[in-house]
Amino acid sequence: MASLIAERAPIIHALKEELIRRLNLPFTPEDIHEDISLLGSGLGLDSLDALEIVLGIEHCFQVRIPDENIAVLRSINTVVDYVLAQRNQTGGPA
Amino acid sequence: MKRSPLRDLLERNGAVFRERYGTEVVGRFGPRLSEHTAVRDAIGLSDFSWVRAYSLPEEKGIDFLDGLVAGNVPKIRFGRLLHTFLADTGGNLLGDCYVANNDQEFLFLCESIIADTEFDRLMEEAGAAEAGAVDLAGTHALLSLDGFRAWEIVKKLFGPDVLGLPYLSIENYTFQGQPVRLVRAGKTSEFGYWLLAPVAAAPALFLACQSEVEQRRGRLCGVDVHDDLRLEGRFFNIHAEGRRVRDPLVLGLQWMIDFEKERFLGCAAIRSRRAAGLHRKLIGLAAEPEEDALRGGARVFHDGAPVAEVVASSFSALLNRRLALAPFPIALAYSGLPFRLGAPDGPVVRSISLPPILPKSLSVKLDEM
Repeated sequence: MASLIAERAPIIHALKEELIRRLNLPFTPEDIHEDISLLGSGLGLDSLDALEIVLGIEHCFQVRIPDENIAVLRSINTVVDYVLAQRNQTGGPA
Repeated sequence: MKRSPLRDLLERNGAVFRERYGTEVVGRFGPRLSEHTAVRDAIGLSDFSWVRAYSLPEEKGIDFLDGLVAGNVPKIRFGRLLHTFLADTGGNLLGDCYVANNDQEFLFLCESIIADTEFDRLMEEAGAAEAGAVDLAGTHALLSLDGFRAWEIVKKLFGPDVLGLPYLSIENYTFQGQPVRLVRAGKTSEFGYWLLAPVAAAPALFLACQSEVEQRRGRLCGVDVHDDLRLEGRFFNIHAEGRRVRDPLVLGLQWMIDFEKERFLGCAAIRSRRAAGLHRKLIGLAAEPEEDALRGGARVFHDGAPVAEVVASSFSALLNRRLALAPFPIALAYSGLPFRLGAPDGPVVRSISLPPILPKSLSVKLDEM
């Protein structure tokens, strides 16, 4: 269990920091629950913000999010799942 | 007990009524699974007239509502909605709210978990009368259209402009000469529209919607199935986890709060808890398909010790397994972890990333509507 947390926690933290910085969100990382919706309800981000998020994820984690995979952006946790899956496919962080 | 203005119509359609916080609501019309399928594959029509609804004049309404709810009311743009909450002075949740900036009025819609008499008292003490708040209970009915094909019905009733409304917006239409406020909202993760109509037009509007819904293999839905739909879509449910946990920070509702605001009900208590740091956080759990014990009150174990208790649960027809929410210690509040249910050697349940489903509505493109 500790190894699963150790793998996941730094990605979550980095992603939150990136979202707060890029989107100028008025929250601390601790304020942002990993399951809240990124688009629509929740953080209430729009399609322009979605583009910023995609750029942020791609910049932070060296993974690509294709247009048809936009559902990845449902929440921070779904983004983290995607990043971990991509890393597992490519054999570890770039 | 307060009843819906549409009660006779609902009863004629086989509504099974139940009481919730002193108000009569429709629990269901038919099998819960059928109602769930209707929303996910077609459309469900529900009576939401139990939602507290107020109209306030713009000028006085802004200050009053801003002092009441946790979100920033003056920042709501014209035609848009703020999703926020109402708390008591101790910072404990009382209601899940929408505030809409609608032309010359502000509309306040609240799913509260307290009795109407208590809610009325709270509003009175907060200065609702001085702010010119008009309680729409009894004079209006609120219908909720939810589902993959819900957009087809509002398009037919109000025209294609409806399709351009973004999530969390409000627009005014007419139906049989009566004003209808259309709120693009919903908490199922499918397309959702709330229609607030005066009682003079509400029965005809209900029948028009019902006819269109049934032509599309949809059906009437009660409130019970909305518990399942909200959990599947990871929409906050004040009637499930909200009622049991009450602390907006543990529930992950910080996004509903403007922490820079000077005042709102419960702000001192919430700020104090935020400064002290979060000790627990609500996370999702999923059971194996055959496992039925993942239910409210069940204890979750880690390393032989109980670490959390389930506060909301439902069967997900889409995933064919039970889902649940439980407040976990921060150190364990991660998805993808195995826990034991009910006992140190109980069946394994896993924490999961939410929302766990991909709603059909996400696949609909505006130019295909």
